[in-house]
Amino acid sequence: MSLIDRYVYEVGRHLPRKNRSDIQVELRSSLIDALEDRAGQEPTEAEVVELLKEFGPPKTVAASYYPEGQYLIGPPLYPLFRLLAGIVLAAVLGAQLLALGVGYFIAQEPIAPLEAMVGLLNSIPAALGMLVIVFVILQWFEVRPETEGEPWDPVSLPEISESATVNRGERIFGITMGIILLVVLSFFPESIGFVTTFGSELFTNPVIAQYIGLITFSLLFGIGLDVYLLWQGRWGTFTRIAKIAANLLSITILFLLVHGHSAWLAEHGASGFFTALEQLPDSTNGDWQVIGMAAFRMAFGVALIITSLETVVMIFRLVRANLKSGFSPETMPPS
Amino acid sequence: MMKEKELQELNAKLTQELRRGILVLATLSQLKEAKYGYALINNLAERGLDIEQGTLYPLLRRLESQGLLQSEWNVEGSRPRRYYEISPAGSSLLELLKAEWRDLTTVLDGLLDGTSMRGENNESD
Repeated sequence: MSLIDRYVYEVGRHLPRKNRSDIQVELRSSLIDALEDRAGQEPTEAEVVELLKEFGPPKTVAASYYPEGQYLIGPPLYPLFRLLAGIVLAAVLGAQLLALGVGYFIAQEPIAPLEAMVGLLNSIPAALGMLVIVFVILQWFEVRPETEGEPWDPVSLPEISESATVNRGERIFGITMGIILLVVLSFFPESIGFVTTFGSELFTNPVIAQYIGLITFSLLFGIGLDVYLLWQGRWGTFTRIAKIAANLLSITILFLLVHGHSAWLAEHGASGFFTALEQLPDSTNGDWQVIGMAAFRMAFGVALIITSLETVVMIFRLVRANLKSGFSPETMPPS
Repeated sequence: MMKEKELQELNAKLTQELRRGILVLATLSQLKEAKYGYALINNLAERGLDIEQGTLYPLLRRLESQGLLQSEWNVEGSRPRRYYEISPAGSSLLELLKAEWRDLTTVLDGLLDGTSMRGENNESD
């Protein structure tokens, strides 16, 4: 009977602790009943093996004692988990962005992009991990949200948002521009800069050259996301969060670029925009480069403000959509 | 076109689903007297309903946790056996399920034969 004992023991390992031994005794008794019925008091090992095969693998047999299945977070709790996960994710991203902005504009702290990225990479899994732990505990104690019997009116169903559809033209334009920039960055990095008039000397931009790796990564991320969106055809939870992440990366890079240009201009005695303009007439000794760099800084500054605003709006909409009707991607229009 | 093998697999799956649906009714109907698991399996098999042991024992536990069965250990024989018997609540439910089953079989017979319970000919639709 040792094979039966081993089988019963193995089934027991996967059974609910609550009535494990009780089920094991019954299982053993039933197996011996069946065996005696077929093979009498002295069954051969082959007969035992055949019977156990009929019973099924221990894990499968044990699983059948869980009528609702085995879940880390079960179906009744999952919609609530998803809703809260979305809110937590948006809140963490928003808080990080706010801290970055406050640090830069108020405390005048220098932006450390790597630190900001690491901060995000740490805080998102930590926040989501805490949420998962809470839900695993709820699942363990079989807490069920009260959903049955809630009054429900079909008329209150939200309108289907057309804005969830991906704008193909916008995505194709984004991919094309991204590829062009990537090609320029990869094959002609020495040509990134500006000329004052057509055919005149090229002034290279040393700040952009400094961040080519980060910019390339950001472009690749953006192109990948656009391709995925074209393939999907609709905005979803994953793509919206990915878009927010892409924007946050862009904001970090734009911060760096603005900051880098300011530092460069300060070094060349033109920290303010008007200082650069004052040097406009004196264009014979390389000051055109100062003006060009100031123009670059302004362009990046405008892009930074627009991207920041766009991101804040996206996060706000994501949170609002979650609070309104669950974590439904269809309720938040794309940016 | 569905291959023969796929058809057979689908048939086996759907048949299993059909049979699973009637197991509660069949089990409750046979537990007016207390029986242990293996005796119940034999009892059902003798009457033409084969049920896998791995399916029956968890089902008995579930029905007991729902208050439809009651059970107790009997240690008088060669080995301890858990005897299950229908509870008063289970008996009431059995009567309801029996009525439902009879209605369903009547309806389904009508559907399968192309006649309707309400005297209309479905095939003329």
